[in-house]
Amino acid sequence: MADIDALDARIEALTDADLARGLDLFRNKLGAAGAAWLQTCVHCGLCAESCHYFLADHEPQSIPAHKLEQVASVFRGRYTLAGRLAPALAGARPFDRRMVRAWVEAAFGRCSTCGRCSLNCTTGVNMPAVMRAARSTLTEMGLIPADLQQVVTTALETGNNMGITREDWLDTVQWIEEETQGAVNDPAARIPVDKHGANILFTVNPREPKFFPLGMQASATVFHAAGEDWTVASEGWDLTNYGLFSGNNAEGGAIARNLLDSMERLGCTTLVIGECGHGFAAARWESAEWLRKRPGFRIISFLELMEDYFRQGRLKVDPSRITDRVTLHDPCNTVRQGGISEPQRSILRRCVTDFVEMTPNRAENFCCGGGGGQLAMAQYRDKRLQAGGIKAEQIRATGARIVVAPCHNCIDQLMELNREYKLNVVIRTVAEIVADALVPPAAPVTQGEADDVAS
Amino acid sequence: MGETGLRLGVATCAALAAVALLLQVVRTRSFGTRPPVAEPRGSAVRGILYAFGPGMSPRAKESTRTHPLVYVLGVGYHLGIFTAFGVLAWSMRDAAHGVLPPAPLRQVAQVLTALGVAGGASLLVRRARGPLLRTISIPDDYLANVLTTAFVALAGLRLLAGSLQPALLAGAMLLFVYIPLGKIRHCVFFFPARWNLARHYGRRGTFPPRH
Repeated sequence: MADIDALDARIEALTDADLARGLDLFRNKLGAAGAAWLQTCVHCGLCAESCHYFLADHEPQSIPAHKLEQVASVFRGRYTLAGRLAPALAGARPFDRRMVRAWVEAAFGRCSTCGRCSLNCTTGVNMPAVMRAARSTLTEMGLIPADLQQVVTTALETGNNMGITREDWLDTVQWIEEETQGAVNDPAARIPVDKHGANILFTVNPREPKFFPLGMQASATVFHAAGEDWTVASEGWDLTNYGLFSGNNAEGGAIARNLLDSMERLGCTTLVIGECGHGFAAARWESAEWLRKRPGFRIISFLELMEDYFRQGRLKVDPSRITDRVTLHDPCNTVRQGGISEPQRSILRRCVTDFVEMTPNRAENFCCGGGGGQLAMAQYRDKRLQAGGIKAEQIRATGARIVVAPCHNCIDQLMELNREYKLNVVIRTVAEIVADALVPPAAPVTQGEADDVAS
Repeated sequence: MGETGLRLGVATCAALAAVALLLQVVRTRSFGTRPPVAEPRGSAVRGILYAFGPGMSPRAKESTRTHPLVYVLGVGYHLGIFTAFGVLAWSMRDAAHGVLPPAPLRQVAQVLTALGVAGGASLLVRRARGPLLRTISIPDDYLANVLTTAFVALAGLRLLAGSLQPALLAGAMLLFVYIPLGKIRHCVFFFPARWNLARHYGRRGTFPPRH
C-alpha cells in the first residue's frame, strides 16, 4: 500500500518538463517497429479472450487492445496529423498525469508481457515489445514500482537478485554437493566451482540456493549421471535478470554482463541457463540486443542439454518410478518467447508413465500469471492471483497430480495457485523428475511444497 | 463539377493519399531500426512466410478459431474493398460512363461488393452494440468503417447503374482524403507490423508453430 502511495506521489509531482521528457524517452525506446505496431491495431477486440487477465476479471481495461490504446493514443496525439488536428476523432490523448497512471496500470499492473495476445492478433502487434517500451519509459521517469526496481538494484549491487553473499553461496554449494554425494552414494559426485575450461558453466536462479536447494541437487545429480564436465561460478552465477521486466536496457545489460564475464573468466564452452523462463530469454535473446554484441559461445537451456543427454544415451531412466499423472506448464519466456517447446516434452515422456498435456499448450499456453515481474510487485498480488485462475483451471482439467514447470518464477506462482485454488498438486522442475527417474536410482528429490501438500 | 473534373479529383486525392502514407512510412522509419544481434534459433524467413501464409488462415489462431463468423465477415469486408478499388480503377478509364466490365466479371464483382457491404455493416453493428468492443473503440473506428462501407456500396451500385459513377468518384475522393488520417492507415502499416512480429518469432523458432 505504501508502495502505491509513493508511486502516486511521484506521479503527482511530475512537472510538464518531466512529461515532455517522458515522451522523448518513449520515442527513443519505441523504434520503427514499435511505431508501426502502434499504427496497426484496428480495435477488432479478438485479442480479448487470449489474455488471462481479461478472462479472469472481464474488465475492459484488461483487453490487450485497451492496454495498447493507452500507449497508442499518446502516440497519435504527438506523432500524427489527425491526432493533432482532431484529437477527439483520432482518439488522441495527451501524456498527462492521468495518462501516466493509465500506463502504469496497463504496463505493470495488468500485463505479464506473456505475448499470448500477439500470437492471436489479427494484424500482428507485438504487445510485449510495446509494453516493455512503456515500462522502460516509466522506469527512466522513476515511475517503476519500487519493489520491482529493488530486485534490479540488488542484482546490480550484489551480483544476484537476493543479495546472497559469496560465502553463503559457496557454503550452500558445498552442502548441496555433500547431499548429492549421499543421494547417489558416490563421493565423486561433485559440484565443481570455478573450474577453468569446463565444458559447461551452469547458472541458477537464487531461489534455488535460498529456498529450493533440492532443485540444485537434482541438477547436480543429472550432471553426475551424464558424466558431464561442468562447473558453477563463485561470482556471476545468478541467471535472473529483472532488467527484462523493468525495461531498463542499460541495467539489464549490466546484469547480463555478470554471466558473460564468468564465461570469459572461466573459459567454458557453453553457458547453460537453469530452469528459469525469463532468465533464459534475457541471457539467450535479449542480452545480445542490450549489449549490441553476439557472445562468442553457445547459450542454451538446461532443457536442451538434458534432451541431448538422452539422445546420446548418457542418461538412463525408469519411467515406472513416476506413475502419478504428470502435466507440463509452458513458461512464456521459455516457450512462446524462447522457442523451447519440445525438449521438455521429450524428456518427460521418457521419465513418467502418464504424461498429459494441458489445453491449450506450447506457444498457445496461458501464462501462469507470475511472469513479467508480477511476483515482485506486491501491490498487484490480488490481480496476479485472480489472473492465475485461468492456469489453475487448466491444471485441474488435466487431473494431474504433478505439475512440471521449468521456471522458478512460474513455480512460485504455481505454488501460490496451488494453495489459493486448492489444486492438491505437487510442483516440480524437469530436472527433479529426471533425477527421480534415474537408473540406478538416487534418493528421491522432493521439494518442501510436495510435503506441504501431502500433509 | 463534371465527370472529368471528378476523375481528376480522384486521381489527385489518391496521389495525395499515397504521398501522405509514404511520408508516414518514412517518419515511422525515422524512429530507428536495429537489426537483431542474437544468434537465431529458427528462421526469420520461415517465420515471415508462415505469418503471411498459413498464419493468416482461420485455424492458425485461437482468436479466429473461436470467432469464425467475425473472421468470415472480415475477409468478406476486405474482399469487397479490394473489389471496389478494382471497380474504381475501371471507372476511371471509362470515359463514357455507360461502359461496364464484361458480364461474368461484373457479376463476380457484384457478389464481392455485396459481401463487402454485408461484412462492413455487420462489423459496424458489432462494434456499436458490443459493450466491450465499444470501450476499445474511438470515433475513427466508426467513421473509417462508414466511409469504407459506403465506398464499397457505391462501387457495387455503380455496376448496376452507370449514372452512379459521379457518386462513386465523390465517395472515392472522400475515402482517399481520410485514408492517411485514420485507422485505414493499417493498409500500409499492417505489412511492416506483421513482418516484424514474424521475424521476431521466426528467429526464435516459435513461428511456424509446432503442434
